[in-house]
Amino acid sequence: MGREKNHVIRGVTSLCCMVILGLAWMARNLWLATGGAVGLCYVLWRIARASRGSAEEATSTNASHPRPPATVPLPQRPATSRQPVDPGDTDGLVGQMLAQERFALLLRPKIAANLSGAHLRRAQEALEQNMALVPDGEVVLGRIDEALQDGKLNEEEIAAAQGRLIQVERFFLDRFPVTNQQFYAFVADGGYEQMAFWDESIWPAVLDLVDRTGMPGPRYWQDGCFRPAEKDHPVVGVSWYEASAYARWVGKRLPTDAEWVKAGSWPVPLSSTTRLQRRYPWGDTMDRKRANLWNPRRARSVPVNQYAEGVSVGGVYQLIGNVWEWTSGNFRAGDHLAGKLELPTPMKSIRGGAFDTYFDNQATCQFQSGENPLGRRHNIGFRCAVGVCDLVLTRQPPSVEEPADGEPGDGDPGDGEAGVAEAGVAEAAAPQPVSIAEEVRA
Amino acid sequence: MTKSVIQPLESYRLAQYAVPIPCYICDTDNTFDAEFCTHCLAPMALAHQANFQKTRPQMIAVVGAADAGKTVYLGMLIDMLSRQLDRMQLLARGAFSITLQQTTLSALARCEFPPKTPNEPDRWNWVHCQVRRPQLRQVMELIMPDMAGEALLEEVDHPHTFRVIRSFLEKCTGALILIDTVKLQEGMPEQDFFTMKLLTTLSELANDPKHGWSKRPVALILSKADQCDECREDPGGYAKAHAVGLWQYCQERFHCHKFFATGVAGACAWRESLSEGRVQVPLRVEPHGIVEPFEWLLDKLGAKWERG
Repeated sequence: MGREKNHVIRGVTSLCCMVILGLAWMARNLWLATGGAVGLCYVLWRIARASRGSAEEATSTNASHPRPPATVPLPQRPATSRQPVDPGDTDGLVGQMLAQERFALLLRPKIAANLSGAHLRRAQEALEQNMALVPDGEVVLGRIDEALQDGKLNEEEIAAAQGRLIQVERFFLDRFPVTNQQFYAFVADGGYEQMAFWDESIWPAVLDLVDRTGMPGPRYWQDGCFRPAEKDHPVVGVSWYEASAYARWVGKRLPTDAEWVKAGSWPVPLSSTTRLQRRYPWGDTMDRKRANLWNPRRARSVPVNQYAEGVSVGGVYQLIGNVWEWTSGNFRAGDHLAGKLELPTPMKSIRGGAFDTYFDNQATCQFQSGENPLGRRHNIGFRCAVGVCDLVLTRQPPSVEEPADGEPGDGDPGDGEAGVAEAGVAEAAAPQPVSIAEEVRA
Repeated sequence: MTKSVIQPLESYRLAQYAVPIPCYICDTDNTFDAEFCTHCLAPMALAHQANFQKTRPQMIAVVGAADAGKTVYLGMLIDMLSRQLDRMQLLARGAFSITLQQTTLSALARCEFPPKTPNEPDRWNWVHCQVRRPQLRQVMELIMPDMAGEALLEEVDHPHTFRVIRSFLEKCTGALILIDTVKLQEGMPEQDFFTMKLLTTLSELANDPKHGWSKRPVALILSKADQCDECREDPGGYAKAHAVGLWQYCQERFHCHKFFATGVAGACAWRESLSEGRVQVPLRVEPHGIVEPFEWLLDKLGAKWERG
């Protein structure tokens, strides 16, 4: 604005000088002509200097700004139809649910029993496109940052660092955090009015989960909708309960802490007592070109498909940076860097760091922070997971080790995520043929 | 029995002792080798550095009640500005100016808050730095000490207890005043009253209608706003609702003031420590609103910038 004003002033001044020069020429006044000429020269010199300065500035800006972060194309999403679908029209219902990215729900045993092979194939294709498979195995959870210096851990180091060794079964994890557009489908489908998706304990508070204009939806939305420019940004301003409700609506659940850490740090057992576990999804050294962390030039979230170089071994993007992610677990005060803590309220665990995370050591796969489950913060989003054993798959994914008893999750009983997963197991154990519409409603 | 030794005369030392060096804060004459001013205990390094520069450093006060977050704010501000390249840069002058940054950032990286600032002025961290605005080619020399909240309270209640505080506040060209939002939210009026006392003291120290504190810029920073979303979104409105006396006082007495909200920790918890008792710890560090008040203040000091 100031620069435009300067240009206008310079233009007007040079015009005045030229008028003076012209008048002086006509009046044959030497002094006036000299004054006008000097004024004109001065203005021209200032213009030349300013343009040289702005050119230099542009060069220096280009030099100081690094190249934009690499992006990856988002999976193609079928167009959503707002038209109500006849409950008896299986094709229409499947199409609508695939458009809403509820493919995991279609692959649940009770529903899958009613679907044709073609429907199941479409659902599984969507699953493979949108979610990454994380193999089963052990992962160390806890304060092991100091012990991770060399990347290798043995049992003594794990014990010394108060880490916990947890067995995780095979599961699928969303490749990207849930975006505003994806969450909008939940809001538009009346997700905030269907109490079946919500924990019973939170029912009195659901009416209070509104946006800036009082409409049901994430806190920073307006009139029940996100800003168009932020369509592919991760949804933020959602509490842990909203994240859980969305996950149930799409037939998934929030990942456990162990699952989240396993997907990022991708542990590799070197021997029976030693394992390699990464500090970041790409290795053991922070590289700020691979994650959207604190940056003086940009303090906001970016679309979920940016920072493609930060992808994990299994193909999961933005585990580190952009937004913190809710997990299903409780925040264990003992796991924090600061040691044993006393929490003001019970907290849920968040992981991964956000666009305003200042320190590298607080944006590692191991670092855990906590937040009030009703907190609707500007930098906390989520992604969903689903156990392989909870789904009916036409093609079985490659397995490292078949689950012995078919139990889902991480074997971490304290995390409180068992509800949805156990329901999935129950369904898997006794599939009952019922109509799709009825089952989805249920 | 006597023993003869050769004693160098070192007449140049006598000459150095003969030239008094005034303290940059209180103007009391000191000898060239004094580490701290004999009168106010301010570091004499400030005077030595100022003598070597063509531009006189400006002084900015970072004040507030005990535990309001002065040390964290100042340490974080210095670190953030020293990482910036385009809008505003900060370059520390002298190793002692980096100590505060080092202490604060090391503690925060460990998910701890820095230790409490001691009451003794000779143990405070003084920051002498150069602030540059590369795009406008402007430079300013600044001195900003991290003073103890208890010492400030003592000086406000019992004037002349801490000479350095009075001398410093008289010379300051602007102030960043920190107010604890959590305590305001809990309905504790101490923050409100203390800040009003501080502002009254400032008004009395320099009450010249043209150049006194009524015309100097004052940024009122509601600290720990990460724990109060209402404050974070509208700090002025929050102050009007929760610190009515202070808000009214500023409207009447300070013509150039603005409320800001700032926060460093995303969430906090408590930890029992054998040595310090029950201490608060940050669960993560995500600073916001740190640079804005400082930038506003320096914008208001427009005439003090030098061509650089």
